[in-house]
Amino acid sequence: MIESVADTLRKHRSIVLAFALAIVLFLIGTVQASGFASYDHIRTVLITASFIGLVGVGQTFCMLTGGIDLSIPSNLAGAAVLTAFLANGSSAPLIWIIPMVIGFGMVIGLINGLGVAYAGVPPIIMTLGMNSAIQGLLLIYTHGGLASSAPAGLVNFVDGDTLGLSTMLLIWVLVALVATVVLSLSTFGRKLYSVGTNASAARLAGVNVKRVLVIPYVVSGAGAAVTGVLLLGYLGQAFITMGDTYLFSSAVAVAVGGASILGGKGHYIGTVAGAIILALITANLNLISLGESAIDIAYGVILLVTVYLATLRLRGANRWPRALRRGPGPNQTAVEASHGDPE
Amino acid sequence: MSLAPGATTPRRAVQWRPSLRISSGDLPLLMAYVYVVAMVVAVLIISPALLDGPGAIGANFSLVVPLAAVCFGQTLVMLTRGIDLSVGGVISAGSALLATHLNAQGWAFVPELLAIVVLGGLIGCLNGMIIAYTSIQPFIVTLATWSIWDGVAFGVLPVEGGKVSPTLINATSGNIVGLPKSVWIVALLLLVWRWIRSTRFLDDLVAIGSDETRARLLGVRIPRRKVQAYAASGLLAALAALWVTGQTQSGSPDGGDQFILASVAAVVIGGTNIFGGKGSAASSTMGAIAFLLIPILVFALNLTSFWGIFFQGLILIIAVTFNSLIQARSRG
Repeated sequence: MIESVADTLRKHRSIVLAFALAIVLFLIGTVQASGFASYDHIRTVLITASFIGLVGVGQTFCMLTGGIDLSIPSNLAGAAVLTAFLANGSSAPLIWIIPMVIGFGMVIGLINGLGVAYAGVPPIIMTLGMNSAIQGLLLIYTHGGLASSAPAGLVNFVDGDTLGLSTMLLIWVLVALVATVVLSLSTFGRKLYSVGTNASAARLAGVNVKRVLVIPYVVSGAGAAVTGVLLLGYLGQAFITMGDTYLFSSAVAVAVGGASILGGKGHYIGTVAGAIILALITANLNLISLGESAIDIAYGVILLVTVYLATLRLRGANRWPRALRRGPGPNQTAVEASHGDPE
Repeated sequence: MSLAPGATTPRRAVQWRPSLRISSGDLPLLMAYVYVVAMVVAVLIISPALLDGPGAIGANFSLVVPLAAVCFGQTLVMLTRGIDLSVGGVISAGSALLATHLNAQGWAFVPELLAIVVLGGLIGCLNGMIIAYTSIQPFIVTLATWSIWDGVAFGVLPVEGGKVSPTLINATSGNIVGLPKSVWIVALLLLVWRWIRSTRFLDDLVAIGSDETRARLLGVRIPRRKVQAYAASGLLAALAALWVTGQTQSGSPDGGDQFILASVAAVVIGGTNIFGGKGSAASSTMGAIAFLLIPILVFALNLTSFWGIFFQGLILIIAVTFNSLIQARSRG
């Protein structure tokens, strides 16, 4: 029993490290400011993290296959703007608007995915072009990106509590559970890891690689749309640039959470830790009154450092103490990877 | 011998045949010219004054200059199978610095101008070193440094504005020998490309992009060449920052971001292979012109200018899909 706990921790050490880093950041903030550990502040930080975490689902899936989705910013803003415009202040039509908006997001993701999987377009270029195309459409639709306000019902829903807990956080927990089940327990999850680790091997094993490659972008499109609608409720208004910060933060959260940018490694639980870390960093930087510019710099440095550490880990997987290794094989990690186990 | 004359020189026949027949792999390199000609003809039919009116050439080419410079660097980087997303951050940071700290007048501006260019080169160097000496992919490295230099730009100049040196403003406007400076600079870039094309440097970049393992076995100094390619990209982005800042007469902390999509799109429209090993800065310049003709055509068609942004994204998607499909076919 004890061994299996140690074993699990060893197998997921990058995720454990990410959570440890989050705790360290939390302690730093607590030492610096008295209100940092208050219930309200923790709640605010976690809600900030939840938005990164929600767009992070799709980004995790994309990165597991070695891709990336750069169309998240305008996809997110598009969903928010469209919802605000169509609802026009009243909450009743949200019942049909929200599914429709999420559908739009999925269609955009589908186009991305088809381009990546079937035409062989590099994900970064496909999604970069898509980002601009959607942004153009949005500007046309809104006549230049005028802000529009959210229906009151949505604001109340996002800000409110369900069963004594923040609704936003409950949604995140629910999404995290679903993502975890999909990655760890479903056949699709296994296929995703196998495609990310070695596409040719996956093909030989009978996986329809192209079809599997499309799904992450559809998930990402849906996730960005959902996040856009919720962020509309949280901020109270929609504007064209509201998704811009999520370009970096989603990618950085996934990388900090230990996913390999080369694909095949990582887990959504790591992204959850990554999202919390980024929210805590923002909160800490706000404490010492450093704004936007310091956050941008911090994101870049963190992205470089964590990805660099991940490449070291890939290369030096055998350098871990023998006591922490299971079984005799020095190539344990490699074998695990080829079986598509989450790190 | 009763054989046809052609049969007596089989070697020559084999040698010249490929140059006469356009192989499908070369098709992307020609598409930029098709796009440009088609759009120029369209604009000339609908609203010729946009292209041949007084001052139109200078105004249009002044937009081509920075994009052509950035595309030049992006092409070099893409030849090695890389990508440089940090050009946006470099231009923003350069523009912010030029509007705040580096705005001396007269000859005192020269060392500051050199400082910006050297800074750009060093930033590129840093990208190149991280990419060459670690196994992190180029798009992650330059995504991170894009964020870092964007942050620096916002730190230096939080909002658009600042004060730009009149020397720089004068240097980026006006004519030389009857032609706008912008036209001369684009011509100069093309000349530089003509020269670089025949150098060992470019051969090495092509070798790296075609097959890195083989290039290593052939003795190409891969890390050094990669650092040089990214350094060139950073340096050219800094030059673009100089031009943009002088032209707009103000600094912009996020003015560089548009050059990321624009440069990638122009290079892809220009037919440079996104999988490395094949490309031309001259075609990329054509790609840049095509990319910048889109908003002009949109204007000529009397549409809202935002359609330009949509079509610019769309043309990237179409061009890259087209090129990828052709690459997939030629690889078999």
